[in-house]
Amino acid sequence: MRLTEEPLDLDALITGSGDARSGALVVFGGTVRNHHEGRGVTHLNYSAYAPLGEKLIAAIERETLARFKVHHCRVVHRTGALGIGEAAIYAVVRAAHRREAFAAAQYAVDRVKHEVPVWKEEFYSDGGSAFVEGCCIAHAEKGVRSIFPDHHSVHRGASKKWI
Amino acid sequence: MEVIVDCYGVTARLAGGPEHVIGLTPGARIADLLVVLGARWPELGKVLPGCACAVGDTVVPRTWPLAGGERLALLPPVSGG
Repeated sequence: MRLTEEPLDLDALITGSGDARSGALVVFGGTVRNHHEGRGVTHLNYSAYAPLGEKLIAAIERETLARFKVHHCRVVHRTGALGIGEAAIYAVVRAAHRREAFAAAQYAVDRVKHEVPVWKEEFYSDGGSAFVEGCCIAHAEKGVRSIFPDHHSVHRGASKKWI
Repeated sequence: MEVIVDCYGVTARLAGGPEHVIGLTPGARIADLLVVLGARWPELGKVLPGCACAVGDTVVPRTWPLAGGERLALLPPVSGG
């Protein structure tokens, strides 16, 4: 399970990934912060489309292993209601050396953030909520690419489209 | 024929709920479904160009032919992490 409503267990992710060939262990954790674009944030709600999300994260892990020649890559993402400071995502990478481990972890996290069907809804201290606007999922139509910026901003209902 | 559309993220809010049964003419494709959705919920229509559609664990193109009875997922731009 790479998408789960349960709190993420970092100890289990690390313990279960031991590899005698690896001299580097890199962990990235994304935690819920209390602000976004100048507004106070009280909590988040993450929703996901699991059938595609599980498949895509597994594919990203495999592609990271092949691309960076690392020994282990695992990414998990939390769903449901998360409070400030709770972990939303962990990526755990083991490799022979630190350079490829750092690069692989960044690559895997970037791809999960940009491609996996997970949506963040922010709840604000001044009332209300909004879905954070993100990246179009790459789909099967040839030549299509996203014009959404890498930096996720709050959804304002703008008409951005495939080009 | 009818298909079931499961709306995720902001699309559920813009369509007034997460699940909708949509009637279509036989031979309709995903593109035709999106036209119907946009006509029924104009605010949803504004974000449909940036949405992907999936059947099960597969993203399907706008040209995908619908047979009726499918359950489709409407996936707006993603914002995980």
